[in-house]
Amino acid sequence: MFKRKRKLQNYTHLAVAFHLPAFLTLTVITLGPLLYTLKISFYDYKISSSGSEDVFVGLKNYINMFHDMEFVNSMAKTFLFMLCAVVLEVILGVVLAMALNSITRFRKLFTSLTLIPMMVAPLIIGLMFSFFLNPQFGLYVWLVDTLHLPLPTVLTDSPVLAMIVVILMDVWEWSPYLGLVFLAGLQSISGEYYEAAKVDGASSAQIFQYVTLPLMKPVLVVGILLRAMETFKEFDKPFILTGGGPGNATEVIDIFTYRQAFVSFNFSYAAAICVVLFIILQLCGMMYQKFVMGGEEE
Amino acid sequence: MKKNKKRKLIGIYLFLIIFLILALLPYFWLVLTSFKTRVDAFAIPPKVFFKATLSNYREAFLDKGFLMNLKNSIIIMLATVGIGLGLGLPSAYAFSRFKTGKDSLLLNYLLGTRFTPVVVLALPLYLLMSKVHLLDSFVGIVIAHIAFNLPFVIWMMKGFFDAIPKEIDEAARVDGYSWFKVFLRIDVPLAKSGLAATAVFCAINSWNEFLMALILTGRHTATMPVGIPGLLTPQGTIWGQIAAVGTIITIPVLIFAVLVQKHMIAGMTMGAVK
Repeated sequence: MFKRKRKLQNYTHLAVAFHLPAFLTLTVITLGPLLYTLKISFYDYKISSSGSEDVFVGLKNYINMFHDMEFVNSMAKTFLFMLCAVVLEVILGVVLAMALNSITRFRKLFTSLTLIPMMVAPLIIGLMFSFFLNPQFGLYVWLVDTLHLPLPTVLTDSPVLAMIVVILMDVWEWSPYLGLVFLAGLQSISGEYYEAAKVDGASSAQIFQYVTLPLMKPVLVVGILLRAMETFKEFDKPFILTGGGPGNATEVIDIFTYRQAFVSFNFSYAAAICVVLFIILQLCGMMYQKFVMGGEEE
Repeated sequence: MKKNKKRKLIGIYLFLIIFLILALLPYFWLVLTSFKTRVDAFAIPPKVFFKATLSNYREAFLDKGFLMNLKNSIIIMLATVGIGLGLGLPSAYAFSRFKTGKDSLLLNYLLGTRFTPVVVLALPLYLLMSKVHLLDSFVGIVIAHIAFNLPFVIWMMKGFFDAIPKEIDEAARVDGYSWFKVFLRIDVPLAKSGLAATAVFCAINSWNEFLMALILTGRHTATMPVGIPGLLTPQGTIWGQIAAVGTIITIPVLIFAVLVQKHMIAGMTMGAVK
């Protein structure tokens, strides 16, 4: 009876009052600027102008994108980076999660230490890799030399190797995170499923394939989608390690957009790219909401 | 059978130890380098034992002015956390207590902001701020950091408020408390461990952030990450000092990260994984 009454109470006024500060602020500082981006993407914007001289150019900035080989290149590089990084991170993450799940001693210590890479500023991770790979005094060169490993010593001069390093940096930073996300998923699987599978005589490979993987699907989807969106926004690590180079071998889309806007001052063109990026990520975001939040908000 | 199992367990521990060594080695090396003289830093084979020096720290923070970058980083971080929590807490509370038909729409709006790439927001903020002379000001960069942290505060705190039983509010209401008083005097103090975790997350986000700060700050407001590329000069990279600044950026993060690790995963998946 009491519960029913509470449900009937109208909270609209209170809700408005409590939400207003945050949503008013967000509208002014994010929605407003985003609409401004949309506007200037249709203009030929000059930063020195007072605004009245900007020429309306319609879809020109958008059409230019498709003729711009550098843009196409950086999009391709971004997808390549995303695909490789996410696949490696998911595989390593699953392995790490299963390893952490099967130990009891020191699990807490291992988990705490696993958190470290993802908390370090991405910029610093880029720097640490520069240190590590430095041809003059880097630990890596020394390791290759002393152990006579059949590996190249200078990595950031070759387009392919530089890309591999950029991917590995991300894998280094984020596999532990996926490991912990997946561990949370593993721990929510009831032990009864395993008991039942064992009674039925399933091998451990079969248990993994038919019990663990299907039950982990929700966390796997969360992890993959989140990482896919984050890798799409990669900037700091390659910016500091390779600067997008050699040439534009590791120029992912955020570095390309940054260059267009703040090095070449093509603000309108950069704005058009921003609109495209925004749409792509919102589509991914919708997918994320559908998979993850769907049904939760009832 | 038992022996087999033991062997397997040893293999797992071995894997984890190797994984962790790989995960922590670059960081360990950065810290070591920050205490090395120029000669030791370039020594082949690399030196693990050497005479430690603080000269890199002295040169970077006193001579190169990174003390100012440190101060800027702290100011921007504190302002972001303070304002972010001030604006976000009431909203998070409303999502938890005053449910309306528009809630899912508002939550999606927040999530949309969270999925926006930094560069997409940085571009218009730069252009608009150059018009109102907010470039190279604390106001400008704090606005940018709040834009990304506010949705995060609301999402995370909503979960913590949800965990507080509603019966407590009812009791306080019967005692004649206004809703605002219930929120401020009862539920916020009850959510304080979640509040601390949220504050730490925001602080780390702001402290580590590079791209916005690179674009919106200038000579007077540059944060520590923004100062680092300045040490990568064409005349040569001053690795020792970079390592010193890198160490100072990272140590507080590690300390705080250990304090809030319980809430870590929930925070980083926007509550999708508890």
